[in-house]
Amino acid sequence: MKKKFLSLLLSTVMAGTILAGCGSDEGVTSDSTPAATNAATESGAGESESKEIEKITMYLPTSGKTDDIATVLEKVNEITTEKIGVELDIKTYEMGQWFQQYSLFLSGTEDVDVLVNYGGYLNAVSQGAAYDLTDLLPEYGQDIIAAEGEFLKGGQVEGVQYAIPIYASYAWNMGIIYRKDVVEELGLQDMVANVKTLEDWGEVLAAVKEAKPDMTPFVTNNGNQAANFNYGTWDTLGNVYGVLMDGGKTKDVVDLFETDEYAGLCNVMHSWYVNGYTNKDIQTQTDSFTALTKNDAAFSTLGQTDFNTPFYQSTTCQKDIDVVMLGDPVSRTYNNVTYTVMSNSEHPEAAVKFLNLWFTDPELGTLIKYGIEGVHYQLDENGMGCYLEGQNPSSCTYHLGSAINNTNAIRWTGENPDYSELLLESNNNSPKSVALGFSFNTENVTNEITQLDNVCSKYQIGLECGALDPETDLPKFIDELKSAGLDTVIAEKQAQLDAFLAQ
Amino acid sequence: MKQKNIWKQIRKYLPFYIMALPAVVYFFINNYIPMGGLILAFEKYTVKGGIFGSKKVGFDNFKFLFKSSDAWIMTRNTLLYNLVFIILGTVLAIVVAYLLHELKSNMSRKVYQTLILFPSLLSIIIVSYLVNAILAGDTGYINMHILKPMGLEPIAFYSEKKWWPFFLTFVHLWQITGTNCILYLANMSAIDPGLYEAASLDGAGRWHCFTKITIPCLIPTIITLTILAVGKIFNSDFGLFYQVPLNSGAIVDVTQTIDTYVYRGLMNTANMGMSAAACFYQSVVGFALVLITNALVKKLSKENAMF
Repeated sequence: MKKKFLSLLLSTVMAGTILAGCGSDEGVTSDSTPAATNAATESGAGESESKEIEKITMYLPTSGKTDDIATVLEKVNEITTEKIGVELDIKTYEMGQWFQQYSLFLSGTEDVDVLVNYGGYLNAVSQGAAYDLTDLLPEYGQDIIAAEGEFLKGGQVEGVQYAIPIYASYAWNMGIIYRKDVVEELGLQDMVANVKTLEDWGEVLAAVKEAKPDMTPFVTNNGNQAANFNYGTWDTLGNVYGVLMDGGKTKDVVDLFETDEYAGLCNVMHSWYVNGYTNKDIQTQTDSFTALTKNDAAFSTLGQTDFNTPFYQSTTCQKDIDVVMLGDPVSRTYNNVTYTVMSNSEHPEAAVKFLNLWFTDPELGTLIKYGIEGVHYQLDENGMGCYLEGQNPSSCTYHLGSAINNTNAIRWTGENPDYSELLLESNNNSPKSVALGFSFNTENVTNEITQLDNVCSKYQIGLECGALDPETDLPKFIDELKSAGLDTVIAEKQAQLDAFLAQ
Repeated sequence: MKQKNIWKQIRKYLPFYIMALPAVVYFFINNYIPMGGLILAFEKYTVKGGIFGSKKVGFDNFKFLFKSSDAWIMTRNTLLYNLVFIILGTVLAIVVAYLLHELKSNMSRKVYQTLILFPSLLSIIIVSYLVNAILAGDTGYINMHILKPMGLEPIAFYSEKKWWPFFLTFVHLWQITGTNCILYLANMSAIDPGLYEAASLDGAGRWHCFTKITIPCLIPTIITLTILAVGKIFNSDFGLFYQVPLNSGAIVDVTQTIDTYVYRGLMNTANMGMSAAACFYQSVVGFALVLITNALVKKLSKENAMF
């Protein structure tokens, strides 16, 4: 009897789960059907006006809130269907999840039209996942062309336009990011004002170490997730195997790791490590500068700096932050964040039309970035965006933060009110690398790069954070890179660069 | 006549076939259909070409695995670690299972078993930070609370290769012994107690009972599990070799396995063909090893072979 009861219970539970499975499936379909039928009826109605609504989907990573995205999309679609006859759907992913799924998106198995690429678009191109936009852009994306000008080259490979770089700060340089309030507290302003090189900074670190024993004077920007000199004074031309020194003033591709500058930086870091200005665990530390600074655990780091860095870092770290740039800002090879249209998209024209509108329409820019005024944000007396009263970042239901053009939205509290003007000025007036717009096609050297990446994983982090002694390990690093085929990659890069410059 | 017999047999076992059907369907969909994707290992995958239409490149995708100077190191590490894991893992699992089996009190057996099983329920990320809490340079337990009070210099564990073969083996055994010993424990309970009684009447001690009764009864299980483990000898527990050493570069020579090499090399390039090639290589070699091991077992004692 007992057994029978048990089996009955089991089968009920199983049937229940099956039904539940169906139920949730149904939920999903019923969710999307009204939209689909809507679109169908709309397009049916539109046919008489000879205008069909095209539906496109865009995938974005975000660290913001997207609970209320359906309402925002409704508003977005009011604008887009009226202006360009496109209906947009956005699917968002957590940042961490995004980087795990990104290569899957590139494989073309998802129903997605527009993808954003972090860390370059070359993988998308080499896998054939990026749509050739060369002809579409002049037709449907004139505003993008007008606004980006020369920077649009940052989305090309061998003259073919594959990606649209976001309009953000192009000109930057390596710099020291530090706690301004600590410097003022300890009266080190004069010392900081005299810092010209990374080596000079050691003196400041010594003073901080003595006065603040609980604060690590120097930490890496992203823990051991990225190399300490990731954003150097050199132009990496897409990857670190073969670079142009001095931000791309010369046309000679050289081996960064053999330069005196690199050895010098490693020596400085090692002396800091030995003197205890960095943590002994710096090699395995995973906490970022931001996280540590929030908790008063770190004083300074190295990173990518431009005109807006002090502002930006002060907001994210919630402390008073300033920077010392180790060189004038220069516009480099290409921007890190770009938008591509999937090569298997059925509506590439609609996708470009949408990107163009998003690029230029301030209403749309703000809507996608911050949501609906009065529901998800409000404007304060200075015209800056802020959360509604009684709401905070965690209770607000929409705050996506994504943009294709950083000047095309309201400014948020804590941001530089003059950001747009400063950005334009910085981008227009800064010196440009000779290789601006060049992108390295790695197709012929994939095997070499796989090996080089592995050699780097052995030495680069350790050398650049000072844990390894450059005296003994830098020569080993250089040798292993050579036997992994670094010279082949550099020769290939030089050849491609020469061809690019000859154009 | 013969035909009829087969039908009769099928009818006789029909309920069992129906019972097996869901599993068969599952394996077909989940394990056999995706094998078509192995074709990726031989082509340069592009989105437009798709899985079957992309350009065929022969064995080009396999080159990166063997061209590298690390090829020897990663193959050596993968094989040696797995050998040690198989041997020590089996011995430890049997010993622990026997100890648990000998416990008279049901209550304490359950408590011990749960305690031993617990580590295998932990995520490897948590394990890696437990290890870090013990080994860290500035704040780790060993350096702070053992070496420092003794007036000894702190040890930078994450930069010294010599410690890691030991650490990794220890962490792995600590994690899996609990799950491994369950099967042996179940097998031991199935051994006829009459055998032990008869043996003890003849004057056999515990040690004799263990070596002459328990072990021989377990041999089929040991062989099956070992053959299965040998099939995975070219695969490694990625979390163990990548997360537990916290991806520290200085010790890569003793922590690099085929899986971590593939991950480190392809993380940035996201090359489908090369990833598929690496998996293909691991599976084919693993499959060959299973056949070889089984053939060896067949030669030594026919009744114990798997197929």
